[in-house]
Amino acid sequence: MTVLAVSDLTKRYRRGGKPFAAVEAVSFEIGQAQTLALAGPSGSGKSTIARLVLRLLEPDAGRIEFEGADFLALSGAALRARRAKLQMVFQDPLAAFNPRATVARVLDDPLRIHGIASHTERPHRIAALLERVGLDAGLAQRAIHEISGGQRQRVAIARAIATRPSLIVLDEAVSALDVSVRGRILELLLDLQSQERIAYLFISHDLGVIRAVAHRVVILDAGRIVESGDARAVIADPQSAIGKALVAATPRLNRNRP
Amino acid sequence: MNRLRRFFRTPEAIAGANTLALLIVMALAAPLLFPGDPQAIAGPALLPPFQDWSLPLGTDRLGRDVLAELFHGARTSLAVGLAAAAAALLIGAVVGTLAGFAGGLIDEALMRITDAFQTVPSFLLALAFVSIVGPSLGVVVAAIALGAWTGPARVARAEVLSIRERDYVAGARVIGMQPMEIAFREVLPNALPPVLALSSVIVAAAILTEAALSFLGLGDPNRVTWGGMIAEGRAVLRTAPFLSIVPGIALVLTVLGVYLAGEGVVESSAVRRSLS
Amino acid sequence: MTTLLSIRDLAVRYRGDGLAALKGISLDVEAGERLAIIGESGSGKSTLALVIAGLLAWGAKIDGCIDWFLPTDADARGSKDRQASAINSSTPRLGRDIGFIFQDPSSSLDPVMPVGRQIAEVARAHLGIGWQDAFAIAKSLLERVRLPDPDAILRAYPHQLSGGQRQRVAIAAAIAAGPKLLIADEATSALDTIVQAEIVALIRRLVAEDGMTLLFISHDIALAATLADRIAVLRHGELIDLGETNQILDAPRHVYTRALLDAHLGLDAAPLLDRRGAQS
Repeated sequence: MTVLAVSDLTKRYRRGGKPFAAVEAVSFEIGQAQTLALAGPSGSGKSTIARLVLRLLEPDAGRIEFEGADFLALSGAALRARRAKLQMVFQDPLAAFNPRATVARVLDDPLRIHGIASHTERPHRIAALLERVGLDAGLAQRAIHEISGGQRQRVAIARAIATRPSLIVLDEAVSALDVSVRGRILELLLDLQSQERIAYLFISHDLGVIRAVAHRVVILDAGRIVESGDARAVIADPQSAIGKALVAATPRLNRNRP
Repeated sequence: MNRLRRFFRTPEAIAGANTLALLIVMALAAPLLFPGDPQAIAGPALLPPFQDWSLPLGTDRLGRDVLAELFHGARTSLAVGLAAAAAALLIGAVVGTLAGFAGGLIDEALMRITDAFQTVPSFLLALAFVSIVGPSLGVVVAAIALGAWTGPARVARAEVLSIRERDYVAGARVIGMQPMEIAFREVLPNALPPVLALSSVIVAAAILTEAALSFLGLGDPNRVTWGGMIAEGRAVLRTAPFLSIVPGIALVLTVLGVYLAGEGVVESSAVRRSLS
Repeated sequence: MTTLLSIRDLAVRYRGDGLAALKGISLDVEAGERLAIIGESGSGKSTLALVIAGLLAWGAKIDGCIDWFLPTDADARGSKDRQASAINSSTPRLGRDIGFIFQDPSSSLDPVMPVGRQIAEVARAHLGIGWQDAFAIAKSLLERVRLPDPDAILRAYPHQLSGGQRQRVAIAAAIAAGPKLLIADEATSALDTIVQAEIVALIRRLVAEDGMTLLFISHDIALAATLADRIAVLRHGELIDLGETNQILDAPRHVYTRALLDAHLGLDAAPLLDRRGAQS
């Protein structure tokens, strides 16, 4: 079943008086419980696509179908209600939260806004969410700036799954994390995907990470799709110039150990 | 606690805080030390200071106790200064946040109104407002706030424009938060620090404006004000200059105290920011 | 090989939180080697870079010693009399003896000064030459860091350049006075993979051409391994592993080093999706 279908998505800006396309005629689909990765150098339009799909930016042309319905046709309260099913995790977990917030408040907001739990029920829901992402429920009363980067990203994931979404956009969600933390966060994401049937739009510049978790990959250059297909097949044998350059530039550990 | 210790590290902060503390004590103690009407006649007219120890600062043309007037005047100055500054900051923060967050036509409209208020000298605005509505404490506060909210509005708007682009605002939209809740719960509290940094300047200006209005006879006639005292003394400036000088000194010290304390707050929070 | 600097029992404590950022670090850096310092956030790797560069003067308490063995001018002229000249414990000068490349070039470059002038300023300040010569040096440096059209870039402001170009300019400024030691502190972390590989190749070439010693500070052990002769691993402010790159990769002594290597998601590793089996 297709969760998200994007066709001919286009976003143009004016830079120094000249129009330029940040995203040009991009089309892709993501199925239930599937991970589609967007890869490409900086400026290739990866993050713009994420923001277009989330309606944080409005496209100049193209269609976005979310769970079979026209997502671009929604506005106001109808759009806000629909957002429950389409969530996001940002790169920098510190910037992604109000600097004055506590963990409890961050998780309370989506539950309150979408009427998922009553006022008295919410503390239990928050504790359950924290445990779901491998955190201690006692963390709820801590301020966001007091917890570690890895914990923050887990809180971000807890917020994203609070409304039981069918798609989560992960915009470089593990790039700012230490490698040892990164592995565990990726494991958590895969767990959630297999248990809750969540689809991921996984944006990363790191082909190693993409290869580890994505089913399919789309490689972008200057706002256009230059290559797409099975993640492992594309990375093993890239056809486009940018695909080849990305693979060649990825650092390798030439370990001689068996 | 730490913040307080840092605040009291700079000499200007200590001087400013002490001056303000003295002023607040004066204002609070006025009804206790000088019960009854400060505008009542207490002795012979135009008694110079340090002659009669029951009237240490002497009396004015009508024989009113200058020291009692000074204490009661502190109440008016502080009340008007703080109330007007609070009102100006509140209006400014709300208008600036709405303009910066909404953008487009709402921003245009609100900022042109801000321009309009800014092009009229704030004192003239206050003067006109009080002349039309009539002098009373509330009207004086409103008149001063009317000319003082534009600065905070501009600062708040600039801050909101940068905060609006942060990830956590996008995050709030993604979880379906309503725009008004985003503006006033997520954005406004984080835009406040630079706006509050203006408060000492605004309080000081409000105290001076209040004194100027009173000097022109547009203060609340039922209250003693330092500006009114200076105006009273003007007629006998040559023979009894102390009548103008004493409230003048009080005014200078108050404004200086507010400035210095405000400077101390800004500095201590700057140290805090550079440490973190 | 001769030693360029020798660190003994170095400890750094930041005022304020009172936590030790570094403790008991002892490390020799050989002249001409490429040493990578690896660690995760909070490991103290950037603190170590800053201490060596002498940039930690304020707000930090430093114990232990760092001895420098900078070749003096006599050395440079080929004097045989090593006893008299080799040991020069006077503190090195940042810019002159040490070049420093920061993670974020947009914060290390002055936004309102043309980049050519920023590079020329370093050369002028440390080499005792006039502006005209300094600009000539700046232009040749821009060629050396492979920036297209150096004449145009000399007059450009930082915001007119891309992130990769700005980092190249920052590198040019760092090496303008011909430092003996080049410190790159997460110099490629803010860049995408392709630009990162180009900058690493550039640093490798410049270090080889000028015979500089390189300290490459990074969180990415795979990236560091492509460049370094030796790798030092820091964790919680302590130096826990140090060895030749091959030895660290093939036979890490410390379990943490092994964990770092295992956590690397390379293009040859088994994907996590598979390791979990076809459970979904």
